[in-house]
Amino acid sequence: MNTTIVLSLVTALLMVPPQVGAAPPGPPHASLPDLPNPKVMLGEPGRFGGTFLDAQVADPRTFNPILAQETSSTGPLGGLFDGLVEDNGETTATEPALAESWTTSPDGRTWTFVLRKGLKWSDGAPMTADDVVFTFKVIYDKKIPNSLQDVLTVAGKPIAVTKVNDQTVQFRTAEPFGPFLRSIGIGILPRHKLEAAYTSGKFNQTWGVNTPPKELVGTGAYVMTEYKPAQRIMYLRNGNYWKVDLQGHRLPYIQRLVLTIVPDQNAHRLLFQGGQTDSYGIRPREYAEFKRGEKTGGYTVYDGGPSFGTEFLSFNQNPRAGLPEYKLRWFQNQKFRQGVAYAVDRDAITDQVYAGHAIPQYGPESPADKFFYNPKVKQYPYNLDTATATLAEGGFKKGADGVLRDADGHPVEFVISTNADNQDRVAIGNIIRQDLSKLGMKVTLAPEAFNTLVNKLVESFKWEAIVLGLTGGIEPHNGQNVWKSSGSLHMWNPKEPNPATPWEGEIDRLFNLAATTVDQNRRKGYYDKYQTIVAEQVPFAYTTIPTSYVAVRNKFGNIKYTAFGGPFWNFPVIYIKP
Amino acid sequence: MIRYIARRLILLGPLLIGITFVSWAAIQLAPGSGDYFQSLVLQYPQISPATIAGLRARFGMDQPPWIQYLRWLWNILHLDLGLSFAYQVPVTWLIGTRALNTLLLSVTSLVAAWSIAIPLGIYSAVHQYSVTDGLLSAGAFVAISVPSFFSALLLLYAAFWSHVLPLQGLTSVNYDGLSWGAKVLDVARHLVLPTIALGVFSVGGLMRYMRNNLLDVLRADYVKTARSKGVSERRVIFRHAVRNAINPLVTLFGFELGGLLSGAAFVENILGYPGLGRLVLEAVLKKDVFVVMGSLLMGSVLLILGNLTADVLLAFVDPRIRYD
Repeated sequence: MNTTIVLSLVTALLMVPPQVGAAPPGPPHASLPDLPNPKVMLGEPGRFGGTFLDAQVADPRTFNPILAQETSSTGPLGGLFDGLVEDNGETTATEPALAESWTTSPDGRTWTFVLRKGLKWSDGAPMTADDVVFTFKVIYDKKIPNSLQDVLTVAGKPIAVTKVNDQTVQFRTAEPFGPFLRSIGIGILPRHKLEAAYTSGKFNQTWGVNTPPKELVGTGAYVMTEYKPAQRIMYLRNGNYWKVDLQGHRLPYIQRLVLTIVPDQNAHRLLFQGGQTDSYGIRPREYAEFKRGEKTGGYTVYDGGPSFGTEFLSFNQNPRAGLPEYKLRWFQNQKFRQGVAYAVDRDAITDQVYAGHAIPQYGPESPADKFFYNPKVKQYPYNLDTATATLAEGGFKKGADGVLRDADGHPVEFVISTNADNQDRVAIGNIIRQDLSKLGMKVTLAPEAFNTLVNKLVESFKWEAIVLGLTGGIEPHNGQNVWKSSGSLHMWNPKEPNPATPWEGEIDRLFNLAATTVDQNRRKGYYDKYQTIVAEQVPFAYTTIPTSYVAVRNKFGNIKYTAFGGPFWNFPVIYIKP
Repeated sequence: MIRYIARRLILLGPLLIGITFVSWAAIQLAPGSGDYFQSLVLQYPQISPATIAGLRARFGMDQPPWIQYLRWLWNILHLDLGLSFAYQVPVTWLIGTRALNTLLLSVTSLVAAWSIAIPLGIYSAVHQYSVTDGLLSAGAFVAISVPSFFSALLLLYAAFWSHVLPLQGLTSVNYDGLSWGAKVLDVARHLVLPTIALGVFSVGGLMRYMRNNLLDVLRADYVKTARSKGVSERRVIFRHAVRNAINPLVTLFGFELGGLLSGAAFVENILGYPGLGRLVLEAVLKKDVFVVMGSLLMGSVLLILGNLTADVLLAFVDPRIRYD
């Protein structure tokens, strides 16, 4: 079960959309007879053939890329479908993919994409602008509930997508849309395979996991050949792929992929150690053990730097939660929240939960987001004296009996909820609980079932404090449902009719400005300010960000692991060494 | 006998409706937890409430619970178990892809357990209070007290260190390229660990049953009579005693069939076996209601048919039982 809450799925980055799309890197004249302008992928020249073994937790939910959302589906489909643009896992820049270039109109609302000549679907049919138009028609269809619809809605309106000619597509947004390039790289569908199902109203049932894999037609590096539920998925290289290496050879290098489906991460770990998979995402507390085993295991542990995930403590500030009036006043008191932030022992969390492989966090974005991360936000280094002093400023005094009381004499006691199936989160909750007890608070930690927690957060609101996490990404806009006061994930006070506080109103304003600005440097300015406000107001008291590691067998070449792109963002050029 | 079976089969309908109604009510009344669609909000923060409402409506979950139930029941009559929320494919397909695997594992572990437990139980009873009996009893108590998920874990680590048996799954990566015979062998190799975890560790209980039943029978008057008539000890035990002692075990067999499914869930999860258990466990956790209901229905049918089979078998084994 995936208990991590995914903040952002569409992750790309920072490139200022230029007037003309970046030319593909590499030699200017790489071309194939049927594909005059393929994308050239950097990397040392490799060898064709061989098999790559991988594993993932849980079965895919669907083979339909429009309906696929969770990583258990998007992972297995990743190699099958491509978008107009894609992210470079190393530089995090948005690069041309199926589109070889694009232009932006001066008002920032019209985007024109030119497709590569000679693109083919894996079944040999030509890929054209009609496929792109069809894909967006499907996404915006109200009868097909999907969350891409919500991501691609600008100022309440869908993006108008029109075909200019077979190779050119135009997008027009209702307002200038800052995150446009980072949102548009969704998998394009083959119209010739899906139109009949769509017009007969059966799209929702099309390409489910019960579809024979040969039916799935894409433009990706691989085609699926077999799916055995709860066992494995097999792939073969797509002979019509549109990327080449520096010598102009058609990629991908690796012939076959096998994705074993395992019940949990421990099973994946055993398979890796038993030599039955070629890579394994290492948890921070396993780092030392895996580092020691590098030589005997024939693998290398790669360090991707800080990850995007955040873990935090939040207090319920919702007047509709039915909390006693005085408790609501504590949680709405900025000094109270700041005092608590000073009492979060981030070093203890780093040592005890992540075996030393994490960094302290104070603001809402991770330093893994090299463009939008603002390092100059207010920090709350662990100090119980500062915490006591800050709480005193907010009217909280410790009595002779060691109990912290508010100005009216109510003893400070509350319950921290968290999800029981996440051991790290329970451990973090315990460390926080101990420190808060030292301040004189009476804190109970209540691990609960994930679904119960979700219900409390989005419907009943019956919670006091919570330890939770969000898997972030590069584009802050994707967090708008958390940060805007009207958002349903604005956890401490969801779906406010009007901003309850001036600072929440200011964050709303900054998010709206950043969404409608195309200039990426100005957008960064808005998001810098939002990070400053969040750190000062502490709706979330952040804890630590773990480092991301992966182990990959030494026989593979061209591995370029980053926290952003993962180990396989450049999979087409990864090869097996002789 | 035929009339008896027909009567039992006709009663099956109302019984199943009762079972499904209680199951449905239990799922609806589970306190404080949200439904499947609600948890999407946290997983995909971009998703709008309208999209979630659209999804709910697609599955008919925007209706009051009793209408949902009646609709489900109506579909069942048409052999349609509905769509899974998470997979958006028919529940029949999801269950179908895994049911055979679970059945296979159930059969191998039943056969393994019974073929080991019955002889051991007989030996134990015949050699009551011998050293072997003591050792067997001690072993049985250990096996009874070890939960199947724990034995599965132990086996998993044993397999990991020994490199003799596959760690998980039902087939090897190269399965489809194998010859017919090699395929059977491949599946057999993969079945060893789950069969041990699920079947052999239940030997303890069965063996104790057999031993105690046989001891009771051996004290009965007709056994004494047979012995005093000069019938050989071997003949006394196998012709007269064992046949009578095995009676209660046949009843037990009916329950075992239904119980294996629930025990299999843990073993399947730990040993990565592609059976129903993993699917259902995940569905329960995610509140994928139609998958849960579909598998409950299947489990109930198995349990009821298992009991019926046991009753019919009893009639054949025990001349005192007549249903007409």
